[in-house]
Amino acid sequence: MLSTLELSPQSLDADAPVRIAVKNLDFYYGEHKALKNINLDFRDRHVTALIGPSGCGKSTLLRIFNRIYSLYPEQKATGEVLLDGRNVISNDIDVNELRSRIGMVFQKPTPFPMSIYDNVAFGIRLYEKPPKSELDDRIEGALRRAALWDEVKDKLKASGMGLSGGQQQRLCIARTIAQKPEVILFDEPTSALDPISTGKIEDLLEQLKTDFTIVIVTHNMQQAARISQYTAFMYLGEVIEFAATNTIFMNPSKKQTQDYVTGRFG
Amino acid sequence: MTAVTDHMTVPGAAPQRKTPKGTFDIVFRNASFLSALFVLVLLAGIMLSMVIGGWPAFREMGIGFITSSVWDTQNDQYGAWPAIVGTLSTAFLALVIGVPLSLGIAVYLTQLAPPWFKQPVSTAIELLAAVPSIIYGMWGLFVFVPLFAAYVQIPLSNIVEGLPIVGTVLYSRSPSGLGILTAGIILAFMIIPFIASITRDMLDQIPSVLRESAYGIGATTWEVVRHVLVPQAGVSIIGAIMLGLGRALGETMAVTFVVGNANRLSASIMDPGSTIASRIANEFNEAMGLQLNALIALGCILFFVTFVVLVIARILVSRVKAY
Repeated sequence: MLSTLELSPQSLDADAPVRIAVKNLDFYYGEHKALKNINLDFRDRHVTALIGPSGCGKSTLLRIFNRIYSLYPEQKATGEVLLDGRNVISNDIDVNELRSRIGMVFQKPTPFPMSIYDNVAFGIRLYEKPPKSELDDRIEGALRRAALWDEVKDKLKASGMGLSGGQQQRLCIARTIAQKPEVILFDEPTSALDPISTGKIEDLLEQLKTDFTIVIVTHNMQQAARISQYTAFMYLGEVIEFAATNTIFMNPSKKQTQDYVTGRFG
Repeated sequence: MTAVTDHMTVPGAAPQRKTPKGTFDIVFRNASFLSALFVLVLLAGIMLSMVIGGWPAFREMGIGFITSSVWDTQNDQYGAWPAIVGTLSTAFLALVIGVPLSLGIAVYLTQLAPPWFKQPVSTAIELLAAVPSIIYGMWGLFVFVPLFAAYVQIPLSNIVEGLPIVGTVLYSRSPSGLGILTAGIILAFMIIPFIASITRDMLDQIPSVLRESAYGIGATTWEVVRHVLVPQAGVSIIGAIMLGLGRALGETMAVTFVVGNANRLSASIMDPGSTIASRIANEFNEAMGLQLNALIALGCILFFVTFVVLVIARILVSRVKAY
């Protein structure tokens, strides 16, 4: 099993600054404590993967960073999630501004009911009013970075709902990067896609980490091994082990991690 | 397991189809065909009898039946214009008042309401939808109309008197509380439960991941609702509005109570008027001869207006879908 994993060849920069620091984080769904005392550092312009069996809290953790959980009054987080030193889970944070700095790509493609062009322009228009020519350039740039430009350049006015699943997901990525966030959260972005579309999205992630700090939740261990530099293994709401991806997959220090990455449970 | 499979493949072991079963199926198919045919026959029957019943009025009055404002039972002169205008204007006012409120209710219930508030309001909407129209009419006449006269019509008439346009449209010559606007408001109350509950169901059906991703990009509640959720549910919301409009056009009892039943046309929405349905309800009992034909012809027109609304709704829906 281990020998079949292709590990990410890129070296990681251990001196890269910490972009998001999670300290003593607890999370509750009503009375149920879903995350227990999480402590993690996410390094700038690196890909960090969160892996673990279903229900381990990895998606829950991701949804704290951009405060999506605040949409649901019964959910609450305590502790600290520091984005450049500011605690994003404190009440005095402007969540809309926060979400424009921390983009998120979801499990299922979520094109908005509008044209391809307007989909990508949506996030930009919320905070800026660039002149038409600049807007056009930024939209083309975002679509190019999302490797979608060649497929849609002749039908920018067509509905985003008409694209294939893989194209829709790349459209969502284009929409997210057009807004120039600092961090992009990926919540199992390829779990609803076919292998070819999955490959394209993975190539894309490889490109994106030069500009963005990326956190990805994935069920697919090969995917985590291929694209991330750091990996956190979570189980039952706790971080069992957090280290460089190579270490987690080749030489984990905990037996549970070893069992999970070798496919013995989960 | 093997034994079962073997048994299944033995030739001739399949049970013989019995003839009675075949006969039953033929009867069943024809019965379901007849059920479907019944709808067409019923519609054709109603249309035909309306046209035949109303024909003498159309023949006597010609195009004047639609354009004339005279409704004189002594001299057998009938013109439907005030009733047509009354029908369209009360329904229009009902939409103007009812649609924003309904959308507000649906958005609040699906996006913002805390659970302890959501349940009672949802139940109240279902109950309001079940209130018979005669109750709305009675409540409208005995409770709403006097209040409306005292606290809206009289003060408002004092304010707008003599002003251009609003001095005409909002001025009530006899502030009785009855009138086109009153009917529009009562109709709005009646269609709100329908539009709100359908819209609420449609918004609830939108996958939460779409909503989360709209919030996730930094949009405010208004931006999420305006640009993502409402367009996403667009077709269904138009459908709900058209259903409400259909009800408003044809509503009889409640409107007859509060519209004032005046046969003349007024430029003010505060003045009494009549709708096609209220006119028919008022006069059907004593009508005979040409008057009866004229009432049936009115029914014909109402039928036609509702039909046109339905067609426009279909066109709108297909246009939104095409996008």
